[in-house]
Amino acid sequence: MSGVLGGLRAWLLQRVTSVYVAVFLIYILVYLALNGDGMGYAGWRDWVGHPLMLLATALFFLALLLHAWIGLRDVVLDYVKPLALRLTVLALMALALVACGVWAGTVLLITALR
Amino acid sequence: MYRDGRPVFLNLLAIHFPVGAVVSFGHRVSGVLLVLAIPLAIFLLQRSLASEQGYSEVAALVRHPGFAPVLLLLAWSLSHHLLAGIRFLLMDMELGADLAGARRMAWAAAAGAGALTLALVLAVWL
Repeated sequence: MSGVLGGLRAWLLQRVTSVYVAVFLIYILVYLALNGDGMGYAGWRDWVGHPLMLLATALFFLALLLHAWIGLRDVVLDYVKPLALRLTVLALMALALVACGVWAGTVLLITALR
Repeated sequence: MYRDGRPVFLNLLAIHFPVGAVVSFGHRVSGVLLVLAIPLAIFLLQRSLASEQGYSEVAALVRHPGFAPVLLLLAWSLSHHLLAGIRFLLMDMELGADLAGARRMAWAAAAGAGALTLALVLAVWL
């Protein structure tokens, strides 16, 4: 499996994505804690819909899904031993994560175009 | 359980994992839970951006008492995964490499996660 993000490359990517995901989420949580009350629908949409925010959020989902893939893959490789089952589970997980990426991308794109 | 005719006795209550092992396993469990939350998060983002009504529905849902168990679990997962993850990054930099330091760091991650969970849940409710 080292061809699909394995070994040192996966180790490094897991750490790089973790830092971006953590910084982004902390920014979101702190911003919402300070400005969440009385933000309202218009304020929410203006904030999320800002071009820079859309870009940062798209990057966040990309980093998050890569991070999830590497983490889940490690868990599966530890606990699922029969090869056929392991490959099936990995394929289904990859499919689900790609679907989430397409879904999140669509939501952001629709927000950007409105 | 018998092997070679000798009784093997495992008292599960007497077996204690070191705190580092518990925090590490918690990092794995919380990670899997957070992955399961990704579709929920995208769904809530979609609804909240779609319309004024959707926004109100999402705002009401996350504060709903029935949603509290999910909120609590997700708040803990996020808190623990974040702090135990920072612990891993510090360990990569060989900080807290001695046993006493490693134990302190693991306790700090677990306790900090508990406090952060409480803060997140209260921030949503209040």
